[in-house]
Amino acid sequence: MKLETELTPRTEVPKWMVYGTPVFTILAALAVSALAFVALGENPIAAYQVMFVQTLTTEFGLTGTVAKGVPLILAGLAVYIPLKAQLWNIGAEGQLFLGAIFGTWIGLNVSLPAVLLLPLMFIGGGLAGAAWIAIPAFLRAKLGINEIITTLLFVFIATEVKNYLVRGPMQAEGANFPQTGELALAAQLPDIPFVGLPTGLLIAIALVVAIHVVLNRTSLGFEIAFIGANDDAAAHAGMSKFKIYMIVLLTGGAIAGFAGLSEIAGVQGRLRANFAPGYGFTAIPIALLGRNGALQVMLAALFFALLFVGGSSVQTVIGVPAAIVDIIQALVILFLLTAEFFKSYHIDLSLRRTPDPGSTGQLDGDV
Amino acid sequence: MTGLATGLANATVNASTVLILAGLGEVISERAGVLNLGVEGIMLVGALTGFITTSITGSYWIGFSVGVAAGGAFSLIHGVLCISLNADQAVSGIMLTLLGTGLTTFLGNPWSGQSISGFPERTLPIVGDLLVEIPIFGRALFKSTMTDYMALILVPVVWLFLYRTNIGLELISVGEDPETADTMGIDVFKMRYLAVILGGMFAGAAGAHLSLAFNEIWSASMTAGQGWIAVALVIFARWRPERVLIGAYLFGLFNALQLFTQGIDFSLASNAVAAGLLNPIIGFVFNPTIMSTYPYIVTVLVLVITVARAENRQLAQPSALVQSYTRESE
Repeated sequence: MKLETELTPRTEVPKWMVYGTPVFTILAALAVSALAFVALGENPIAAYQVMFVQTLTTEFGLTGTVAKGVPLILAGLAVYIPLKAQLWNIGAEGQLFLGAIFGTWIGLNVSLPAVLLLPLMFIGGGLAGAAWIAIPAFLRAKLGINEIITTLLFVFIATEVKNYLVRGPMQAEGANFPQTGELALAAQLPDIPFVGLPTGLLIAIALVVAIHVVLNRTSLGFEIAFIGANDDAAAHAGMSKFKIYMIVLLTGGAIAGFAGLSEIAGVQGRLRANFAPGYGFTAIPIALLGRNGALQVMLAALFFALLFVGGSSVQTVIGVPAAIVDIIQALVILFLLTAEFFKSYHIDLSLRRTPDPGSTGQLDGDV
Repeated sequence: MTGLATGLANATVNASTVLILAGLGEVISERAGVLNLGVEGIMLVGALTGFITTSITGSYWIGFSVGVAAGGAFSLIHGVLCISLNADQAVSGIMLTLLGTGLTTFLGNPWSGQSISGFPERTLPIVGDLLVEIPIFGRALFKSTMTDYMALILVPVVWLFLYRTNIGLELISVGEDPETADTMGIDVFKMRYLAVILGGMFAGAAGAHLSLAFNEIWSASMTAGQGWIAVALVIFARWRPERVLIGAYLFGLFNALQLFTQGIDFSLASNAVAAGLLNPIIGFVFNPTIMSTYPYIVTVLVLVITVARAENRQLAQPSALVQSYTRESE
């Protein structure tokens, strides 16, 4: 008797799979991460209670989640848009640094009223983010050099550039710490009146809507999706791969720049040398979870924001490292990748009496 | 000046072992067509498991072996996802780094800050005392831990394995053209699994070297990005093991220079020609933080040159890198 597996590519993915995958993934990741708590002798249910219930039922937890959610939504979009054309912006973290650096520089050196200064800072930050991805984007679009590796390499360069500037030219005069001076009030994002939530949320929502419309309702969005699905066919149809690749990558870079600046102008108030939020990397599971649409990206980002806020509560209340959040993040990606496989293949299991010498139970779809 | 050179040589050689081990592993994996961005995470797993085992058993050799085995086992996750489930290699690798970092930070917390007695520095038998006397490089190369020597020996070993054994050549062919390799009767899947696990074992060894020989302590994220440097190094080395050695020394030298140039003033005398114009530029170029970007910038340049030359020369990058393989007639 021999267990045979036969894989046939699916022609159509069932609806329940498309919408069920993110939910199933998160539940599976949480279930497996529970083992890590058990390994340290902690009760996982008590830990999750602190992580989710406490965070979601207190005002502090909720505002914290939204505040963390803003840069994560933006960073998620920065990865999501290129992903629509099947390109990976692995280096959103670097573009985020550049946005933070240049936006902060404008905020510190230009004196204008807030209504003019803040938009100027965001334009500057966005341009800096786009500029940082421009070289990897050009190398991908023109020479076909793998954007995964180049965008990643640029993260490490950006990290050192930030360290250099904050310890040198941009360091506050007379300061002992490696940090810039504090942004003037006119250069800081105010909270939304009466609601008490960060203004960055409005920027994030506006971008989510704009991107949803562009991707679903315009010919540009159609071209991006077409190139993502089949770049050769798109080329035959007269679409410019170069143009589309540049557009999606530069837009992604600009939005990552916004993400960095929104964190500085909205939360931290100044750029510090240890500013390394990791949002650019968390953006990868966010974009994967939300790859069905910009709105889903936003939901996924809010979920991860909840994880971050809950993770630090777990650290203070129970005393286990907040690194549990990294584990959950990793497991979300792991289960999503696994689910991708089951979405694209139909698997038949069968028992055979005599092993067929021709097939060894591995992938051999006989089409 | 010889004092400075000796110090620089020491720091360079010491820092390079991790990069040699991790870089060789990544070469093996990528040669079979599997990019592994999880090196950083695998290294941490190797470092922690090796450290805990040494701490419990008191034997750094057992600890090192466990670190190597754990690296191989951990990389198997990447193997299953990328080889059997056709997952995106870049995403899976980043997942592995996140998972390794998270797991070791979380589970290694009780071990944090503890120290062990790991691999001692040794000279080679018989000729060792003489070799150490060689000016500048003597001490750096010939008074080292066993793991340092091992890394150096593994460079020709991996070269021989890849280019002079059947299994190595089959591995390379799988990374270049899996379809053809398959029709020639090579088991593409088995080969790729072998390469990923071997690569993971090398990364595990690199991590175990860090916690058992280089530092002799465990601390969270102690790899400090060296796994990523190893990935860049492989591109710099254009996927050849012997160039990994050169690259590791070069990357190690840049790192060491940061420590050694901090106290040195490179600026021209104020009465020199164009000193006012050149001094700020010199200050920027030799700034230790700016210098640490050079390995990455050079790596990007190497990528561009490699691709630009591809028209009239054989491309060094494995042709099927990042491509999953399915046995479907398409």
